[in-house]
Amino acid sequence: MTLSRTHGPSVDLDLAELYRDPYPVFRRLRREAPVAYVPAAGRYLVTREADVVAVDRDPEVFSSMEPDSLMHRVMGETLLRKDGAAHRRERVALEAPLKPRTVRDHWTPVFQANADDLIDDLVSRGEADLFTELAAPLAARNLAAFLGLGGVAAEDLIRWSQDLMAAMGNYQDDPEIWARAFAARDALGVAVDEVIERVRAVPDHSVISAMVNAEDPLTVQQVHSNVMVVVGGGLNEPRDALLTATYALLTHPAQRRDVEADPALWKRVFEEAVRWVSPIGMYPRRVTRPVELGGVQLEAGDRLGIVVSSANRDESVHPRPDEFDLHRADTVHYAFGGGPHYCAGTWVARASIGQIGLPTLFRRLPGLALDPAHDVPWGGWVFRGPLSLRVRWDA
Amino acid sequence: MPTIVYVQPDGSRSEFQAPAGTSVMKNAVLNDVPGIVAECGGSLMCATCHVYVDPADVDRVPPVSDEEDEMLDVTEAERRGTSRLSCQLTVEDALDGLTVHVPEAQT
Repeated sequence: MTLSRTHGPSVDLDLAELYRDPYPVFRRLRREAPVAYVPAAGRYLVTREADVVAVDRDPEVFSSMEPDSLMHRVMGETLLRKDGAAHRRERVALEAPLKPRTVRDHWTPVFQANADDLIDDLVSRGEADLFTELAAPLAARNLAAFLGLGGVAAEDLIRWSQDLMAAMGNYQDDPEIWARAFAARDALGVAVDEVIERVRAVPDHSVISAMVNAEDPLTVQQVHSNVMVVVGGGLNEPRDALLTATYALLTHPAQRRDVEADPALWKRVFEEAVRWVSPIGMYPRRVTRPVELGGVQLEAGDRLGIVVSSANRDESVHPRPDEFDLHRADTVHYAFGGGPHYCAGTWVARASIGQIGLPTLFRRLPGLALDPAHDVPWGGWVFRGPLSLRVRWDA
Repeated sequence: MPTIVYVQPDGSRSEFQAPAGTSVMKNAVLNDVPGIVAECGGSLMCATCHVYVDPADVDRVPPVSDEEDEMLDVTEAERRGTSRLSCQLTVEDALDGLTVHVPEAQT
């Protein structure tokens, strides 16, 4: 690895501290060094909303390509690390089943059935860890459905997702982690090949079918790579959004009463939860030519970390940014990113969590409350959410 | 160069010279027009560049495509007959003086 020349302020941060609670650190960076080189991350962290928006609006200067990324080694060339027409071609092929109309007409009943089925098993129990017993399996079942992998068990998808994601962070080059990621890739690949064959013959509403049967169809390699991206990156976010929003309501009883009295507010609960603790906190970009950002002169090749979780708490945009407030007027946030890479799963997440998962959970488990015998541990800054959520209700 | 006029919910107006071939959304963003968020940058995925075309101009703008129609279903502010996504309105000489009204909310 070549040592990048650095410009502007360099800030030594302890990544373990960021994992525990990144927000006080981000507050300091926004104030003192909004574009700062962080040696431990090997990147400049961009922490103010205005600079994050400027990056998202200029994909030619701030490229998504990372030629030597760890993702590439496991997944091959995915659309997440492409720009311009090459990205657009794959994105158009993939996103059709994830847009509002298909979500409303086709996926909403599927998501509702998945939520009800999992909650059926909980109702009489009176207590559970919502991380392992609802949020993760719900995200996995919904993901399997819209990808077209309906025959794959939720626990397999959850494990593959974890093994793929672990490799994305395998900077220490642990051979065990690579081996598990390659095994996950191969097992997922077998399942995907079966679906490709099936939807070639009989197209359906799934993402795999859309990629295979697009006007400009994707190659088998592209289908495999993009399914891996969706499995690796599409499971934790709806899981964490559901847990964060649930925690927020259980700790803000007045707002909980408001939304239980006016179900139209569930949309606001979801949006405020992903602003407050954004499931994807940071994504990478690479500078393609000299440019000034936030007062710092950057050069071609510089690597950036676009910290949306910090932008979403920027005090110049959001009064009382650390408070969860579903009634806030400042509703614009960047939890789904921006520009051509704007989250393809946005409408699926809004429906499956905001319109279905959350209301169903609070309606069907009366008296839902945090279990006072357990703390709620949180972790992460690149991805963040509760690590468990032990609750009780009236069974 | 054609002029595009943006009207805020409080009635305040701003107008800009806009190069032909660019979108009404792009010109709003470049000129920091409040209320045009444009999260997805014109990829037809977000509906946060929603505008109401002035009734006097409705006959001048091209029709809504199926893809735009789908996203207009999920605008935050009420969808009306004059609703458009400004990323889908391309500036041309024939649209000189086009007036669009920015809605109360985009998200």
